[in-house]
Amino acid sequence: MRSSVSYILSSTTSEPTMSHPDYEQYSHDHAALLVLVKHVGSQLKPKVYGKFFEQISKINNCKITDSTGLLRNIIVRYVREHPVENNDWGDFQTHRRLLGLISLGKYDSQQELSEICRVHESLKVKYNTTLFDSRCIFFGPPKEMTTPVSDDSSSCSENEVKKVDCVEIEKFTTPANFKTRALFYDEVGPCSDLETQVNEFVNSLFWVLESKRLERSREKLERVSLLLAPFEKKDFVGLDMESRNNKKRCTGRMTKHLGDLCLQAGLLNESLAYYTAAAETLKTINDWLWLGAAYEGLSTASALALYPEMPRNMPLHRNASLQEGSPRKSSVSVNAPLLSSPTKKIITNSLLPEDISKRYREAIIHYSKYQNAGIVETEASFKAARIAVEQNHALQAASFLQNVVYINLTLSEQEKIQRFETLAELYSQIGFNRKAAFCQRLAATRYVSPQNTSPNWGKCYSLMLQSLPGHCLTLDPVEMKETDQGWPALQIQLLQELVVAARRTGNSALATRHMTFLLQTMWGHLTPTEQKELSIQLQSLSAQCEGSPVLLVLDSGIVVPPANLTDIPMCTAFIVRDLQPHLRPKAIPTLVEDPGPFLFTPRHFGGGNSLDRRQQRAKTKVDFLWVENEVCEIQVKLVNPLPFELKVSNMRLLTSGVVFESVPETVVLPPDVSTTLTLSGWAREGGELELSGYSTHTLGVKSNCKLKHMASTNFPNFYKVDVVPALPQLKVTTSFPPSASFSNFHDDNIVTSAGVTLFHGESTQCTVTLTNIGQVDVEMLEAEIHSVLEPSLQDQIFSWDDSEVQSQLPIKPGTSATLTLRLHSAANFLAPNVTASPSTLPHDLSSGVYSSMSASVTGGSLPSRFNSSFRSTNSAMSSLVGLPTVIQQHTSSAIEGQLRLRYSGGPGFKSDYCRMCSVFIMIEMIPSLHVTNWDVLPAEISSQFYLVLDIANLTSQEMELRYTPTKTMLIEGQESCRVPVPVDRCPLSKLSKYYEDTEDDNGSTNVDMTRICSEHISELVDLQWLLLATDSKGTSSLKGITLTSRMMDIVRMSPLMWEVQVNGSAIRPQEDINCDAGDCLELKMNLTNSLDKALKQLNVSVQFYQDYENGNLNYRLDTRLATTGSVKKTINCLQSKEIASHECNVIFFTPGQYKVDIQCCAPDNFSTMCASTLSTGHVWRFTPPINISVK
Amino acid sequence: MAVCVAIIGKDNSPKFFACLNPDEELSFQYKVLSSLDVVEEKLSAGNKAGSDLRELYLGMLYSLETHKIYGYVTNTKIKFIIIVDSTNMVLRDNEIRSMFRKIHSEYADIVSNPFYTPGEQICSKPFLNNIRNIMTGTV
Amino acid sequence: MSDDALFDFLHSEIVNYVLERNQSQNKDAKDEDLSNIEYIGFSTGYRMIERLTKEMPRFKDELETMKFICTDFWSAIYKKQIDNLRTNHQGVYVLQDNAFKFLTRLSSGKQYLEVAPRYVSFTCGIIRGSLANLNINCLVTAEVQNMPSCKFHIQVQRT
Repeated sequence: MRSSVSYILSSTTSEPTMSHPDYEQYSHDHAALLVLVKHVGSQLKPKVYGKFFEQISKINNCKITDSTGLLRNIIVRYVREHPVENNDWGDFQTHRRLLGLISLGKYDSQQELSEICRVHESLKVKYNTTLFDSRCIFFGPPKEMTTPVSDDSSSCSENEVKKVDCVEIEKFTTPANFKTRALFYDEVGPCSDLETQVNEFVNSLFWVLESKRLERSREKLERVSLLLAPFEKKDFVGLDMESRNNKKRCTGRMTKHLGDLCLQAGLLNESLAYYTAAAETLKTINDWLWLGAAYEGLSTASALALYPEMPRNMPLHRNASLQEGSPRKSSVSVNAPLLSSPTKKIITNSLLPEDISKRYREAIIHYSKYQNAGIVETEASFKAARIAVEQNHALQAASFLQNVVYINLTLSEQEKIQRFETLAELYSQIGFNRKAAFCQRLAATRYVSPQNTSPNWGKCYSLMLQSLPGHCLTLDPVEMKETDQGWPALQIQLLQELVVAARRTGNSALATRHMTFLLQTMWGHLTPTEQKELSIQLQSLSAQCEGSPVLLVLDSGIVVPPANLTDIPMCTAFIVRDLQPHLRPKAIPTLVEDPGPFLFTPRHFGGGNSLDRRQQRAKTKVDFLWVENEVCEIQVKLVNPLPFELKVSNMRLLTSGVVFESVPETVVLPPDVSTTLTLSGWAREGGELELSGYSTHTLGVKSNCKLKHMASTNFPNFYKVDVVPALPQLKVTTSFPPSASFSNFHDDNIVTSAGVTLFHGESTQCTVTLTNIGQVDVEMLEAEIHSVLEPSLQDQIFSWDDSEVQSQLPIKPGTSATLTLRLHSAANFLAPNVTASPSTLPHDLSSGVYSSMSASVTGGSLPSRFNSSFRSTNSAMSSLVGLPTVIQQHTSSAIEGQLRLRYSGGPGFKSDYCRMCSVFIMIEMIPSLHVTNWDVLPAEISSQFYLVLDIANLTSQEMELRYTPTKTMLIEGQESCRVPVPVDRCPLSKLSKYYEDTEDDNGSTNVDMTRICSEHISELVDLQWLLLATDSKGTSSLKGITLTSRMMDIVRMSPLMWEVQVNGSAIRPQEDINCDAGDCLELKMNLTNSLDKALKQLNVSVQFYQDYENGNLNYRLDTRLATTGSVKKTINCLQSKEIASHECNVIFFTPGQYKVDIQCCAPDNFSTMCASTLSTGHVWRFTPPINISVK
Repeated sequence: MAVCVAIIGKDNSPKFFACLNPDEELSFQYKVLSSLDVVEEKLSAGNKAGSDLRELYLGMLYSLETHKIYGYVTNTKIKFIIIVDSTNMVLRDNEIRSMFRKIHSEYADIVSNPFYTPGEQICSKPFLNNIRNIMTGTV
Repeated sequence: MSDDALFDFLHSEIVNYVLERNQSQNKDAKDEDLSNIEYIGFSTGYRMIERLTKEMPRFKDELETMKFICTDFWSAIYKKQIDNLRTNHQGVYVLQDNAFKFLTRLSSGKQYLEVAPRYVSFTCGIIRGSLANLNINCLVTAEVQNMPSCKFHIQVQRT
């Protein structure tokens, strides 16, 4: 925009230039009457002055009817200061002349009053050349308010300077030589006539102006003297003043001058005409400076015509550095209605909107040719920019503003600053926020530049702060991180400057805050060296004022949000820790209402179309519970990103929700090494706890490091933990030493263990002591055993008395309860594969060994070698001792069990929570004795039978075996012996139901019956043993003993009672019958049904045979005997308790040993053909067979 | 010859910055940042005015005593800024225009590079070299 | 001709590859997940548009941008222009290609209609990516009623 011929037209010598640029000018001010409202004396408070200034400033637009009856619109501009040098440019542009003066002063004494008058007079002298009229407003002491000067009646014109003496006031009078209209007001009063007075004053100014204008306009244009800009005076020395060019120059300049006056006098049309004419004239003679002025006049007048409201429409945003109540601020739309613009239509010569800027541009180019017109050019640029703003032409405005920077002016620092501030303001008006920020920053640096004699760090800081948004910076670190806006290089510099400014203003808190902000937001953009240096700087800043996460409110009302160092140290892991397993609260299962079969699972519709595939954040809700008043822990992994050791103190958890008491931690982090730290605390009530991060104190700055603000993005915003109301806590000990191994149970609840070694069959007691180490009573306690064993076996091994436990409740804090756990080494004492052998044993074998067995009853232990005679189908069974295959199955084994204790109490119990802990119990079971084989033999009395047991002592100690209450036997270690145990036969009462339901085709009947008999035996037989060396004693049960059907017949009582008579005499068991060959023996048998129901289809048979004692039985005895009577008889039905009889006779032909087998066979059901049923089911023999010795 | 070339992303943050003299980078950044005001204004004005500013080349954004700043905005709203020395009278509008076109070509290439994700900082070394060559006029 | 064929083959292999990979990853998905193909298109469009608009003057408005998509853009990719462009002037544009390249070799009629979405999603992505880089955020869907004709619906999302 600037002319390329800059400066060539003006001399380089330092002429008196307008040294006080007025950046605040609007083009409309060309039309205004300039009035100085001066604060005089020291008594008047600036605030009161400001108030009155505003009041006066409201009267900035007056309608005055001129002598021709035309309504003139007069604009007044009030200023607080006016450099007298600016008056020098009054010829060039008349609006620069100060036309009016209003002094404001307060007095308490005559002396002060006189002083105000004196100052006023001296001001009048100062602006003597231009001043038309003046007023002096006095504020007296409050008590004098009733005595204002009442000289308004004698209104006067300027010509007749009336002596405004306040003679009415006794005490205070203006000096005699004071020739200004004095106005007395009370500073707190309403001052109702002030407006009238000022209006009157403006009127007076107008009339003087009007008269001067008329005077000028009447002058002959050919004769006028040359008007000069101040610096021009020298240029025209020696020039031919009479030349044609010069004449034109005089005329042109005067025409332009008249334009100015007309504009001020409210004659817009005239002024436009004058300006147009002047421009025509001046153009021809290349009077660039004045041509520029004419163009500017044309533009301003046009702007006034087009946008009469312009200054008032301006946004009222001002730089904070501007004083309150600057002229334009006061003129807010109050007089807007006065300035109606019906004149628009009648305006001729007015420029089109787009031409205003064009003309202004030309004017500026012309001004730019003169170095001494720099200020005029600058002001013109601002005025043009403001018009462009009004026209909404941002680019045009920007180019005008850009021009301002070009203009090379020798300005004071203050003026340079003002220039930048005004630029910034205008840039922000056109939305050029970055540019505005740039100017603000320049202004800020100027405030504290070395050239500035009175550096003002406060202003500097304030401007810096304002320039932040334009540099894409906000003061909120959170927002900064969200809107990552780039330009880090600039931002870092700016923030560093901001820190310096804050420090120099003495506000250390702010300096710390900004440095913290810098480190927090720019960390990633700093080099490692910068990171280190800035961290050290922060440390020294915070040494003066510690940083803390609170809002800082500046005097200007700006709020500086807290800055937290969330990533120094860097958190790489934040793990919410569950309680120790045995302390974890468990919900006490309650019956939950069935929610029904339908579970609604909303289908997740992923945003498959979105460009950013969002990373899944971690789960917020943790799936475990914490307990009130108990230590809760969080594990954090911290990395110190700085190259020096970093001390982080006062680390606490940040929580919300329930009351939480955090334990402060201090940690010293070596550089670049990951450190794990546990933060802990107590929730003081039940409910939901939100863990949002932790607080730190490092580098002298306290920070609240929230997870959501941390650099690591895989943290959720917070973790939520449910806190359960307080629960008791038990410490569990046992009377046993802890077990050596902890093998199979991977249950975390285990708090202690107990190990014991027991021989099979041995029992012991373990005392479990439960001590309440918590704060809450234990009100509920449940114990149960868990193991992999079958429940029935488990119950054999572990048992306790629940009522014992319950009776000790509640357990008060600090007290103990005990639980006595009985442990029994249950084992199967029976040889596993013996089951098959007895059934295959020949009948006579049993009887054959009987005698020797009975001998053993009295004679003590049988040597093991006797077993060789104990024929068995399983040859391996023949020798018990030393056979590894047998022993192996009875080596020691370990039983593992877990005593689980569930307990609760207090508020946690009410909320249905409990705790669980376990005692691991390991029982090493070592073999004691073993029943390697067994059989049954009929006893001497039919109500009993003998259970013959081969018992092996598997221990290495001598064992005392008590197999009946009265009989004991000693067995050497690793030896075995055979014992007969008399046992009551299994009564029918136990079995009756199996006979009753014969109708049922029940295959398990026999099995069940065997089981009942087996149980019957194990109930009655108790093998008690004592190991003499270790004094261990135990009981071996025969539980699970298997019985063959043959055995069964012996074990159980027969449902048929036999009564057999030979030759009329009843046969006693084991009794041999002797007879001679040829004798006839009469066999009579009575069968009594002792069941409650009838038996049907009973086949009674009598059979004779010979036993060769080598396993062969000879039934073919046709040649040796003969029978009379039936040897077989079928009884169709034998009612309950009925007796059936049968008789037959036998004659033996040859001597020998005979045996008689009497049996009764009943079919199980109607399928009598079924052989198996016959053989296994219901064959009742008369046992033992009758021996008959025939001689 | 240009003293500085900047590529500004859609979000008005710098994606690439090259200066002949690295010491001047910071001051150039200020200049480029404030030139964005003019770019934005020109774009919005262009929308209003229509035909006038349809060209991708925006012309001179503003001039300083020492430097002139030119702008170019692609259809994808990527801004290229070139700063030249004010004293450099050799560079005419046409030369600036052709520089921009070359830069645009380079940019289109780098965007097609699978290792570059649009919107991130450009740190490809060949790209930097090519831009430097354009700046110094050796291409 | 040969380079056209290459593009066709590569495109169908990409479709096959993505679908196979999807299938192996989650077998229970009911609908075919074409979002990966669409994304490939999006990325392609986003990068490619910079080159295609290099010599273009600045677009005046949305409609002009759409016209560019129908003409120059379509020609650059498919060697033909869109046959019909319709709009409701409220952000919905329908681009109709009567012989869409990826469908012409498949069928002319209703056969294979159910697999047609596989062969249009890449193009949907390209359109969406291109427009996204031109600062027009939109949803692009395709409609195939009768192969090889295809309609692309562009719904501009204004915020």
